Amino acid sequence: MFDRVDPRSPTPLYEQIASRIRVAVAAGELESGQALPSVRQLSASLRINPATVVQAYRELEADGFVERRHGAGTFVCDIPSDQRRRERIRKAEELVCRLLDDAARLGVNGADLQAALERHVNRRRK
Amino acid sequence: MNNAIEFQGVSYRPGRDFEINALTLTVPSGAVYGFLGPNGSGKTTTIKLLMGFHRPQSGEIVVLDRKVPEEMPEVLAHTGYVPERPHLYPTLTVSEAVRHHGAFYRTWDERWVDQLFDRFELAPDRRISRLSKGELGKLTLLLALGQRPELLVLDEPTEGLDPVVRRELMSVLLEYVTDRSATVFISSHLVHELERFCSWIGIMDHGRLVTELPMEQFKNGIKRLRVINPEQSAPEEPFEIMFRESVNGGAPGEMWLVRGWRSDMASFFDRGGATLRDVVDLDLEDGFVELLRAFRAEMVRK
Repeated sequence: MFDRVDPRSPTPLYEQIASRIRVAVAAGELESGQALPSVRQLSASLRINPATVVQAYRELEADGFVERRHGAGTFVCDIPSDQRRRERIRKAEELVCRLLDDAARLGVNGADLQAALERHVNRRRK
Repeated sequence: MNNAIEFQGVSYRPGRDFEINALTLTVPSGAVYGFLGPNGSGKTTTIKLLMGFHRPQSGEIVVLDRKVPEEMPEVLAHTGYVPERPHLYPTLTVSEAVRHHGAFYRTWDERWVDQLFDRFELAPDRRISRLSKGELGKLTLLLALGQRPELLVLDEPTEGLDPVVRRELMSVLLEYVTDRSATVFISSHLVHELERFCSWIGIMDHGRLVTELPMEQFKNGIKRLRVINPEQSAPEEPFEIMFRESVNGGAPGEMWLVRGWRSDMASFFDRGGATLRDVVDLDLEDGFVELLRAFRAEMVRK
């Protein structure tokens, strides 16, 4: 899950990490009580500034997704299922917006995009 | 101490062809400062000035609150340095070289050095002359870290190294930064590597500082705008236009390189006759190249 970040993306690195963890919590990939990697570990494995990891964890804490226990580490909080659902929907919206921006830039119209999306969603369902 | 490194109007002219010109540069304590610039722009010369190897003709250099070069021994006692070309005695073994180097430092940490030995899988009995490039890179970083420095100065530390070694060196460096909150001053051509972990960026060209700013401002604030029907004399805009040129290939409009951009500034274009067609995000490499172009155009104009 912490395999990569995209340093070239205009989305700040701390936001990439925070958003990845929020989704992982929302999708149940990370369970309540589970420990996140230490700042030192994550900074070294992704080769990013430790301050960036701290910033991501701080943001997740402010959102109520994780709790930082002094000296012990950072742990996933118990998130109610409706909040997890909201988070998944928020992520879906974000992905669609990005897709629409790309499409607009390339001159692909909304109807074609919608049809293609439905076709592929159905195909994967089978 | 607010700043680990301060250059104030530093000029240094080693010969007729090249000079460091009124260089003012500030590295805040705890920053990981990426130092960029094309070949021959003065990066290594700046690093040598900061390490006290050259004496500037004018200006002031303060490193870790001490004057350079006058108080260099105190600075060196707290500074780890990875030179562009390490000078190691080829006939020594790795462990002899480490002992020799460590003897200079009161704070040399044997236990930590042993850990680094294991981590880097360096063979203590191997002669320096027999080391591969990757092993030399590891040894040089180990020598710089062994005294647990407050400040690390790295001149192209990963130049010519394979990605496996490069990643390992950077991981160890970042672990050290986490543990010690050290300041890092690193020059490299591997822009994407710097983009990952630098909190500040400074760019050199022709012996001058083109710009220095926090990475966040670099990434968020420097954009390429495509503007249709721009007014010839630009009105008061809330951002700084660094460069403007007509779009290549006969497409209408102009390309503006701007600084201090925020997305809510798009409304600025509603007032005038101009239309903002596109805002292009620049990664560090694009931004670096564009800033150099703007800087050089400005120099030619002057």
